[in-house]
Order: sequence, then C-alpha cells, then structure tokens
Amino acid sequence: MAGRTGRQSPAYDITPDEVLRFCDFLYRRTGMSFSEDKRYYIDRRLRDRIDATGSLSFQAYFSLLRADADHEIEQLINSFTVNETYFFREDHQLKCLTAGLLDSIVSRKPPGGTVRIWSIPCASGEEPYSIAIWLLENWPQVDSYNIEIVGSDIDTRALKAAAEGIYRDRALMRLSRDIISRYFIPISDDRYQIDEGLRNSIEFTRANLIDARDMATYRDFDLIFCRNVLIYFDDASRRQTAENLCDCLRPGGYICLGHSESMSRISPLFSVSRFPDAIVYQKPEADHG
Amino acid sequence: MPALAAALRREGVPRVREAIMTALIRVGDAASIEAILPYLRSQDAALRTAAVEALCALRESLAPFMPQLLSDGDSDVRLLATELTRNMDAAQATTLLCDLIEREPHPNVCGAAIDVLAEVGTPEALPSLERCAARFSASPFLPFAISAAIARISGVKG
Amino acid sequence: MADTARRAIHVLVVDDSSLVRLYYRAALDKAGFHVEQAINGIEAMEKVLSEPFDLVILDVNMPRMDGLTFIRSLRAGRGEVATVPALMISTEAGSQDVADARAAGANMYLIKPVAEDELVRHVGLLTGAIP
Ligand SMILES: C[S@@+](CC[C@H](N)C(=O)[O-])C[C@H]1O[C@@H](n2cnc3c(N)ncnc32)[C@H](O)[C@@H]1O
Repeated sequence: MAGRTGRQSPAYDITPDEVLRFCDFLYRRTGMSFSEDKRYYIDRRLRDRIDATGSLSFQAYFSLLRADADHEIEQLINSFTVNETYFFREDHQLKCLTAGLLDSIVSRKPPGGTVRIWSIPCASGEEPYSIAIWLLENWPQVDSYNIEIVGSDIDTRALKAAAEGIYRDRALMRLSRDIISRYFIPISDDRYQIDEGLRNSIEFTRANLIDARDMATYRDFDLIFCRNVLIYFDDASRRQTAENLCDCLRPGGYICLGHSESMSRISPLFSVSRFPDAIVYQKPEADHG
Repeated sequence: MPALAAALRREGVPRVREAIMTALIRVGDAASIEAILPYLRSQDAALRTAAVEALCALRESLAPFMPQLLSDGDSDVRLLATELTRNMDAAQATTLLCDLIEREPHPNVCGAAIDVLAEVGTPEALPSLERCAARFSASPFLPFAISAAIARISGVKG
Repeated sequence: MADTARRAIHVLVVDDSSLVRLYYRAALDKAGFHVEQAINGIEAMEKVLSEPFDLVILDVNMPRMDGLTFIRSLRAGRGEVATVPALMISTEAGSQDVADARAAGANMYLIKPVAEDELVRHVGLLTGAIP
C-alpha cells in the first residue's frame, strides 16, 4: 500500500506537532488512539479529509473539525473505520454472547424464560440476523429459552430492506457454505434471501435513540447491541441516548458497543464488565449512590 | 426549575443525577446554568464532574458567566471553569483563557487553562503563553506544558 | 520483545489532561517504565480489566468517572485487580480530600504539580522498583 497516490503534492505541510494535536482531539472525542508506527496511516487520512473539505491548511481544517461543520466528525470517523456492514461482523462480541454473557443472563431466569435482545441501530438487518444465526449455531441452550430479537432503526427504508432480508453475496463473505444453505435462499446469481422462518422471528420497528418518548415503548431488554452510532453523536445526544438505553434495560442487563467505541466517552451509568472475548457494559442491579 | 435544583441537592443516585442534569441542559437557559453552577463547589467529586459536563454541553449560553467564573475567589472553581471553554468558539475561548493566564497566580489553574489552549487555542495565544512560561519558569510542570501547547498551536516546536 | 530478562513495570496513567499524561509518560518512559494511558475512570477500568498493571496513577476530577469512584469500584471488584496500588495526584489539597482518597482505597496521595524525579521516586517505591 506504500507509495504515492496520483495527487500532486499539496501546498501545505502537516507537522508532527499538528498530528499530535489532531490525535489528542480524536482520542478525547472518540477514544480512538494510534501508536507511533501508524503515523503514516493517520497522515494520509488526515490529508484526504483536508483536501476533501477544500481546507488550505491543517489549521483551517482543524477549526472546521472542531465546529463539526457539515458533519465533519462523522466523515472523519468514517475515513478511519470500516463502514461496511456484513454478517458476523465484529464476531468477538458474538463469541462473547455464547462464551459466558448469555449464561450470566439466563442464570437469573426460570427455565423457559424469555431473553430479550435488541439490535439498535440495526440498519438493513445484518446485525440482528447475525445474532439469531449465531445463537442457533453456537448456543446449546437456544431451545431452552424463549429468545426475542428486535431490530430497530430511525431509517424506515433500511428497516424495509431488513424485513425483506435480501443481501448480496459480499455481505455473506464470513459465513460458511453450510450456514448459507441453512438460513438463506438463493434468489439470483449474487443475491440471497433470509429464509422465511428466520425473517418472521425478528421484529423490525422504527425508533429514534435520542427520543425519550420513542424509547419509552421499549422495556425489559436483557441485552442491547448499540454499535457504530454513538461515536457520531455529540455530547448532549450521547447523554440522552445513554439514559434512554439504561431505562430500556432490565437491572443487570448488558450493552455492547462497536469496537471503536467506548462507554468512557459516553456515560457513567453503566459498569464495565470484562468477558474473555469482549468488554461489555452492565446496568447496575439496583440503583444506589 | 427550583424543584429540579432542589432535587439535585439531595440526589446520590447516578441515574437520577444524570436525568436532572440532562433536563437542565435541555432547557439550557440562564436559570438552568445558575442551578448547576453551585455544584462546581460540591465536596462530592462525582457531582462536581457531572456539573462540569452539563455546563460544557451548554457552550454558547455559558459565555456571559465565564469572566466571573474565571475570576472566582476559589482556585478550584477557576480550575474547573477553564474546562467549560473547551467547546466554545476558538477565538472566544482563546481570549478568555489568555486573560486568565496573564494574571492567574495558581500554577494548577494555569495548567488546566493551557491544556484547553493546546487543543483549541489560536496563534493569538502565543504571546500570553510565553509570558506565562516566564512567570512560572521554576514550576515543575508548566514550562513543559507550555512548550507542548506552543508547539501544537504554531505547528512547530517552541 | 516484551519478555526479555524481566517484564517492564506497567503503569497506567489516568488523567483527562493530555499534557499531564504526556508529562508523566515522558518522565516514566525515561525511567524505564512501560506506560499506558486512560482519560477517565471508565477507560481506566476497561484497561485494568484487560491487562495487568503494577500501578495506577490517577487524578481526581475527570469527566464521566472521577478518580475516587474509580478506586472504590476497583477495590470492590474481585481478583487480583482489586489490589493494584493506586497513586492519586490531584490539585485538591484539602485534608478532607486526602481523607476521602484514603477511604476510597488510594495508597498514596500527591498534590499537583509534581516534579519528574519526585514522580519517578514514588512510582518506584509503590511498584517495588526501588527497594
Ligand atoms: C453505521 S450504521 C450501524 C449499523 C449496525 N449497528 C452495525 O454496526 O453495522 C448506523 C445506523 O444508525 C442509524 N441511526 C442514526 N441515528 C439514529 C437515531 N437517532 N436513532 C436510531 N438509529 C439511528 C442509521 O439509520 C444507520 O442505519
């Protein structure tokens, strides 16, 4: 990947101290941090954003970033993260589910009890379907409990696609042939549809994370996946969302965030819980000071 | 508003404390700011930091309160107040913090102001930073912090 | 690389000020300690639960989770992490502040600003690097 891109060399210079200033900002705001040897990688992405925004210097770009003009923070984060959604993305969290997390949840439930899992935002459905498939494949107790999975998003077009459950083969790249044949029906050369049984087992609904009234209709979840959205929110929205999610959880319930996200930049309402494959956050059992 | 403020005074439960702060942020007027301000003086560190965060979220409406906060008689309050400028417009924050470091006797308050300047400061801050470094040349931390801040703001090592 | 003759002593520096973290890190790097950083008590908790540390250095006032709340939840936890030594370095200089830190479970309390050699000496004492 080394070497020059076609672009002419820019008229501005980014100094090492400016990169430090930028990294401090990014770290404080998002928690993303890069070691010294990633310097080249940061430099290149930073230059791309400076050019894309028409900024003529690092300083000009940095003020634009601080003011979050034209959602620049979101653009920047996107340039540092992989945005593609596919099945079994961030599978260490799925492993975490079946390597302790679910056992801890059901240890407090009667046999046959209900386990409620919420994927919000679920975008076009890859995440809630992945959770369902993973549990069916990897959790021996899957038939001993009543598992409810809900997928929600603010975007109704995405929800429509999620309910349809049609995906290109690229989204299936991490799934084995076996799994594909069990849960998908090929509908053309490169398109597959989730089988009807699985589609009907997940409920898709519209919800706005920031809206307390919207969120008040969702209660008693044992586990919430809230991945790759909070990192884009400003402080006030993060705050409101954390409170809303806290109210949607049962006492002792868990939240999973995306892998570049950390509750340390979001809210003090949850405690940190370490499982072998992932860090998750837990709502306290009982509210005390 | 008085009811919310009174509730905050009694509140030890984080979920309720956060909810009250969020409600005050949502209103966001001068009265909500005045309801939060006393908690900068709280003995309880959790309440103090919750107050700083809530006030930070109110950025622009906070501006009229800043000169007074940054010259408060209590150095702990001045120190926490520097953090409140972090989300403000860069020029405005630079002016407020430079006024402070020109006269601030307490090295820790200067240190906090310089940390914010290192992120948000404009080149206008450079002369004040240099004078502050001279004033505290014997302090263990400030000369180091100031030269790092100057390097970040100007893009070159100071 | 990590385990040559002896594993370097791992120190977690927790402070919301990037310049303070930089200052501690520069001093401790020079003295041969391995340094990681966190911006507040929550990130510190994520780090101590993910890898072993010999010492946590922490500030009191930090966003989302202050230093005292962090030590209290650390000490309330199970396993080895509950006993990691904690050095508080704060601007709060009152006797009540020191008493609160002791009650929360801090092992030592210094008042900012701290000189490099003083920092290195205390870290050495608390981690056993200096007998
Ligand atoms: C990058 S996707 C994340 C999807 C999935 N969780 C993942 O990690 O692959 C972001 C999604 O957040 C949704 N979103 C943005 N703001 C939202 C809000 N306020 N409430 C609910 N969903 C929101 C968008 O519609 C989009 O589908």
